[in-house]
Amino acid sequence: MVTDKKRSLFEKLELGKDYYEIRLESIGGLGANLCGKMLGELGLKFLDLNSTSFSSYGSEKTGTPVKGFIRYCKSEKEIRVHYPVVEPDLLVIFHQALLKDETVWKGCNKDTTVIVAVEDGQDEEMSKKLSAIIREHNLEAVYTIKAQKIAMETHSRINVVMLGAALKIMGLEDVSEGEKICEDTLGKKYPEALKNNIEGIRRGFTELEVLSCTEEDGNNIEKSGNTQDPKNHKENRKNGNPQWGYDNAPIGGINPRFGSTVIADLSPSRQGYIPLFIKDRCINCGLCHTACPDMVFQFAKGEYKGKEMMVNQGLDYYHCKGCLRCVDVCPVNALVRGVEAEHPVKEFFLPNQELIRTPDYYEESGPDGYITSESYLTEKRMEGGEV
Amino acid sequence: MNNQVMEYASGNEMAAIAIKQIGYDLMGYYPITPSTQIAENLDVMRANGETDMVMVAAEGEHSAAGICYGAAVAGGRVVNATSANGLLYAIEQFPVQSGTRFPMVMNVVCRTVSGPLSIKGDHSDIMYLLNSGWPILFATTVQQVYDFNIIALKLAEKVRLPVVVAYDGFFTSHQKSRCYRFDRDEEVRAYIGPKVEEYPFLDLEHPITVGSYMNEPDLINNRYQLHLAMEQVDEVLPEIFEEYEKISGRKYSKVEGFGCEEAEDILVLLGSSYDTALEAIDELRASGEKVGVATVNVLRPFPAKELVELIGNAKNIVVADRQDSYGAGGGNLSLEVRATLQRYSKNVNVKSLVYGLGGKDFFKEDVGKMLQLARNKGAFDFEYYGVTKGSLKKQDEPLFDPVTREKTKIGATKVDEEGKVVGANLNQVTAMPGRIAPGHGACPGCGIPVNLNLLLKGIEDPVVFLFQTGCAMIVTTAYPRTSFKVPYVHNLFQNGAATLSGIAEVCYRKQQKGEIPPGDIVFVMVSGDGGMDIGMGSALGTALRGHRLLIFEYDNGGYMNTGYQLSYSTPLGARSSTSHVGKNQYGKIFFHKDMPKLMAATGIPYVATVAESNPVDFIKKAAKAAHYAKTTGTAYVKAISACPLNWNDKPATERKVIEAAVNSCYFPLYEIEQGETILSYDPEKMGKKIPVVDWLSMMGRTKHLVKEEYREVVERMQQEIDIRFYELKRKSEKGV
Repeated sequence: MVTDKKRSLFEKLELGKDYYEIRLESIGGLGANLCGKMLGELGLKFLDLNSTSFSSYGSEKTGTPVKGFIRYCKSEKEIRVHYPVVEPDLLVIFHQALLKDETVWKGCNKDTTVIVAVEDGQDEEMSKKLSAIIREHNLEAVYTIKAQKIAMETHSRINVVMLGAALKIMGLEDVSEGEKICEDTLGKKYPEALKNNIEGIRRGFTELEVLSCTEEDGNNIEKSGNTQDPKNHKENRKNGNPQWGYDNAPIGGINPRFGSTVIADLSPSRQGYIPLFIKDRCINCGLCHTACPDMVFQFAKGEYKGKEMMVNQGLDYYHCKGCLRCVDVCPVNALVRGVEAEHPVKEFFLPNQELIRTPDYYEESGPDGYITSESYLTEKRMEGGEV
Repeated sequence: MNNQVMEYASGNEMAAIAIKQIGYDLMGYYPITPSTQIAENLDVMRANGETDMVMVAAEGEHSAAGICYGAAVAGGRVVNATSANGLLYAIEQFPVQSGTRFPMVMNVVCRTVSGPLSIKGDHSDIMYLLNSGWPILFATTVQQVYDFNIIALKLAEKVRLPVVVAYDGFFTSHQKSRCYRFDRDEEVRAYIGPKVEEYPFLDLEHPITVGSYMNEPDLINNRYQLHLAMEQVDEVLPEIFEEYEKISGRKYSKVEGFGCEEAEDILVLLGSSYDTALEAIDELRASGEKVGVATVNVLRPFPAKELVELIGNAKNIVVADRQDSYGAGGGNLSLEVRATLQRYSKNVNVKSLVYGLGGKDFFKEDVGKMLQLARNKGAFDFEYYGVTKGSLKKQDEPLFDPVTREKTKIGATKVDEEGKVVGANLNQVTAMPGRIAPGHGACPGCGIPVNLNLLLKGIEDPVVFLFQTGCAMIVTTAYPRTSFKVPYVHNLFQNGAATLSGIAEVCYRKQQKGEIPPGDIVFVMVSGDGGMDIGMGSALGTALRGHRLLIFEYDNGGYMNTGYQLSYSTPLGARSSTSHVGKNQYGKIFFHKDMPKLMAATGIPYVATVAESNPVDFIKKAAKAAHYAKTTGTAYVKAISACPLNWNDKPATERKVIEAAVNSCYFPLYEIEQGETILSYDPEKMGKKIPVVDWLSMMGRTKHLVKEEYREVVERMQQEIDIRFYELKRKSEKGV
């Protein structure tokens, strides 16, 4: 695969751009924070550039959105700006669930190169989805990488695969700098993990694919002025989700919208698996109801084996984060683990039964997802832990 | 300079490196975002043997400041790091330390203090220290954080005052960038020089009294000495900066500016925004605008003379503050600048702006816009920059019906006339309407909502909630949404229980006066993430006063909301981000706290422990606790709560981990009702008792303890657990 030299980091800086800017769009737990740090450090230490990096901040929760920001400039320049990357040269999306989130696309335009981590085996569907996004945002360079698959095969993690892919787009000739930064970060303490991660980087670098749009899709690329303007994006968001401000918000930060988190669609928090309900097996013991952190199980008065009791009617998949605690506690295997991609239509999908009106669900993976602390998490990552 | 090495690091990392290089004797601290990483980084160095500094994780900032004060009085070199609410909690210590003249250094990583909780960066905390008698150095870059930490200690020991190094939370504390540090620690130590104690406290041959009882006519003289010391700071700082330049090549001054000499319009800012503005001003000047930007590197003593020399000849000045001195017509920096200009009789058009509160980003474009406002004569004197009016026309329709008294009376769980709980059938309790809506942002598999739901299944009366700070409140109430369908209030870590006392008392009074309908209401305080460390005093006080309310603790064994620092209920030997595992450290060094025993000692009518692995028992105890909270006095219920993220185990199988904690007797299930201890579940009798190491091996945070080298740690832990368990068992068997 050949990438566009004009879009490379060095070329852009040579042509007089102050900064080459990268934005990482990820979900807590995929290691975007560490990826951003490695990318930044690599620029400073091995590419003779100056660089900074940081993540969106706050209280890190698994499954919530995290953004990472990296800026490069020529070595002699000081980087003095401290705000997030607004118009990225390179946008790296760690999880395809994020494609639906409009804030992910904020500030993207024809100069933005995009890398999307995609799942294996749904090429056609994905290229359709992406083609629509390409049209909407006037994008000209979109690449895909089967990050999860590569990570699993190499026993590495998605973040290093995405790092390798980013290095390719940045215009590096090979992954030698990637290897060096990996050694720096992981140290010599974990030789096996190091080997695996370097292989992850290498495959990310080499297995990046140009997105092939269908002809029809390609022809439909329209110049849409609106979507490039972040302001308009905000406006759209506002229309869908009217905002409180100083003029109309209840004083004191008081919130009378009781129960309003219910409109969040938490499906992007899932990591590929969902609980499947086999109703015939269910004995309505209620254990799943005691184990679910997300109030997914919908019980209602009914009849079971001729006895009046509370009966499990179904699952509210809007709020299921796929933790599979219910599968673990179910004594009769009425709840089993399923691969979500194999169940595009979910049986016994029942939204929260206490709602008195149908809300507009918003694609969200939770409240603000951020990084406040990293030493413990970094250590876990180094040891190949879950996070 | 070839005596230095390049680092790619954040402000907090560089502060930690400076602290390590200086070779302090002691750090007393309490974790609070965004300053926590300083202690975390130092703890890693401690674990690896790079520093032997004593690190004391206090149970709150007030104690942390006390530990530091004590260590400074004893003649140690001492450092602290804090932010926001923590700084305010400790604030009464600061004038004591400056007044009694014991030097130390405190990093204040600036963050918002506010009503609706924000953890992001602004300057509303640091300005509370303006009257504390501590010199304040303000760093605008990561490099300065390092340099000022070294300069601060030299200054502190020279003038015998404690000194603050302040910098922006997140913008400076968390952003990684290129910076330099001295290669050799000795060079840093040589610059600072040896510590000289004028009145050594531990010199038993020459005993001294510190902290006299002093009123008029003497106190004013003591305060005057403090004033003189501040003046001395003003005098000696230039020399100290100069000496530092000699070894580092980096030149510092009390004030700093760019383009100010020729500028007609000048923007004055504090912190990282100044750095951002430099780039904008460069561009504006290139396009021919006569503009400049200035900042102060020293906030106390305020460098009035230097500042007026720098900006005094401008036509228009706009001072932008990342905080407001409400009612004063501007933030504190702008008030100081105005006073300075008046003092030097400068007739300049000055405007005050408040911007960037709660970490709102400051963009390059904002610089031009702010300067434009400066030129606009007479238009305004003081304004908020960047507020939003709001686009919501009318209140949205409710999504749920209110959860009324009738709806929660499902009749599934009852306390009978003898005080025994009947029911709690797991099928029947699914009928309980949700008091907490789904859509909260807890991690997949989090134990907190699981425990809250189990608690609520057992309470058939209306519930009023108070949550202390922690994961549970963060994930449920991210504005503009809330998960709560019943009245809810958040209050601080330290005094949540006290706050709920106030709420309950007014409710009972209003009911008595007939102002609100009668009927039982269960007041529930929810605490976790170590809330029973810093908030223990308040909880014990509430229990001693015997208010009719329920304190529910979800014990996830660490400060999980801030990235898992150790809490006093973290297991012995567990790894956390302030108890790392390394060649010199095996994890947490003291036992988990026995909070139920502490609560029981207050003589409250009901104390119970619960676990999700025994759900019927859990619900029954919830019902009983609610019964006591309504009728008798304070009830306390503690659940062990899974945290897959930081326990580092699988979300799906958390119930098994909880079950193992119960079966190992790490977390025995029992109740203490009216003084009588009853073991609810005896793993020994059921033939299910397992060694604690079996439980420890299930979690990433403790599985290192399985190794032979930690056998002694595990044995000590097993012994402690057995002591606690058999004491309970004896009491239970004897019926006492």
